[in-house]
Amino acid sequence: MKKYSNKIIAGVLILAVLALVFWWGGNAPSLHGFLPSEETTADTAVTDKFKTDSIPDGRPLPVEPQDVVISDKELTCTLSVRCDTILDNMDWLAPEKVALVPKDGVLYAEKTVTFYEGESVFNVLVREMKQSKIHMEFVNTPIYNSAYIEGIGNLYEFDCGELSGWMYKVNDWFPNYGCSRYQLGDGDKVEWVYTCDLGEDVGGGYSSGEQKDE
Amino acid sequence: MNEFRTYHPIVNFAYFALVIGFSMFYMHPICLAISFAGGFVYSVMLKGRKAIQTNLRYMLPMMLVTALINPAFNHEGVTILTYLPSGNPLTLESIWYGFAAALMIVSVMCHFSCYNAVMTSDKFIYLFGRVIPSLSLILSMTLRFVPKFTAQLKVVTNAQKCIGRDASGGSLVHRAKNGISILSVMITWSLENAIETADSMKSRGYGMRGRTAFSVFTFDKRDATALLGILFLGLYVFVGGVTGGIDFRYFPSVRSSEPTIYTCSILAAYFALCIVPIAIELWEVRKWKILRSKI
Repeated sequence: MKKYSNKIIAGVLILAVLALVFWWGGNAPSLHGFLPSEETTADTAVTDKFKTDSIPDGRPLPVEPQDVVISDKELTCTLSVRCDTILDNMDWLAPEKVALVPKDGVLYAEKTVTFYEGESVFNVLVREMKQSKIHMEFVNTPIYNSAYIEGIGNLYEFDCGELSGWMYKVNDWFPNYGCSRYQLGDGDKVEWVYTCDLGEDVGGGYSSGEQKDE
Repeated sequence: MNEFRTYHPIVNFAYFALVIGFSMFYMHPICLAISFAGGFVYSVMLKGRKAIQTNLRYMLPMMLVTALINPAFNHEGVTILTYLPSGNPLTLESIWYGFAAALMIVSVMCHFSCYNAVMTSDKFIYLFGRVIPSLSLILSMTLRFVPKFTAQLKVVTNAQKCIGRDASGGSLVHRAKNGISILSVMITWSLENAIETADSMKSRGYGMRGRTAFSVFTFDKRDATALLGILFLGLYVFVGGVTGGIDFRYFPSVRSSEPTIYTCSILAAYFALCIVPIAIELWEVRKWKILRSKI
């Protein structure tokens, strides 16, 4: 038995470290330890090659950005970028980011902006952020054939807990496909909102049967 | 310039473990500069002027590449300089961070080159042969591999040159052919050499219970003083790092913690730790000069 005691002690130590990491790791206070899964029955019917779920009636279908021809016709839509959910979850926010959150949580107040027919939500966001000198980082994800917005105004995904990130809604609907595939129509209302809870706190995401996707 | 090498292996090892560890974890620019300066000067002292050339030739390009790659993938930061063709911003902070990371890599490389010169494999095996026999043998063989490989490469190349099969002249195809045959020789040799070493160690009863090993290392007062000094400085810097005395932030904006006396004292301790071997060498040179003039 003595021969193996070292190995047993080492095994127990590794287990202890793993348990500690499991219970105390991560940065969201509510995520320590087990979380009872409330509902895991998301509709995962794949309807196209970019893993898009079925789209509700009356909502526009995704348009692949590589197929679009952008015309010269000028149209308008309204755009706003808000992060007011962070204000309710300040204790989750990474300390170095606190100074970046505006007092009222509005990074870009609702404004009517011009776009060209055929452009997507992503095109408009890139242009307007550039124009108003607001920082914005995205990454292209070929598997969803869309850009993914990692951070706006230096507020990044996962900065405010493990379930945080940017989501967009158009005419009060959170599309279940990426923002490069949402072709804008005249007079659309585009809102970019920061969620700290996978969309639950902004009225989207899994709770309303829609995917978190930007 | 061999004084620090003659210290007990535990002193050598403690120094390198602490300095390399701190170099990898402390991103404060002054810490990086201190660590780099210490590693660079000591490697030059150990290997002579040739080391300056090698260091510059390998490290400058490496540093530039690291510093340039970071802003290409990292776009965080509040100071937007311009926009990259992809549409993502190029930020001042990501450039600073790239430079800091580059300096860190280069200084760790410097320290490892010193480590290789000071911690010979017999020292390493002496320290860890009892605790982790197989791992320490593998580690010391791995660390020995590159210098041994280059030495053997020279031998093989010269031997091949003697029979007119060198890779330095002739047409491109000719050179490639000879180069590949040299490479094949080297790979065969290194595999065989590893097996031979392992067999040789096994036949000597390496790692067996009750086996003793002869060593010439003695731990005297000089080693105790040096070890205590290194451990004290290391502990001070470690505690300073844990308590946030030398915190430095690169994102979203570059900012350091308030420059208090405490911060300065940690940096001073770090500086003292990094120059321990240099100070020992210089001290020894001075002692030698004084002793000689008395005679």
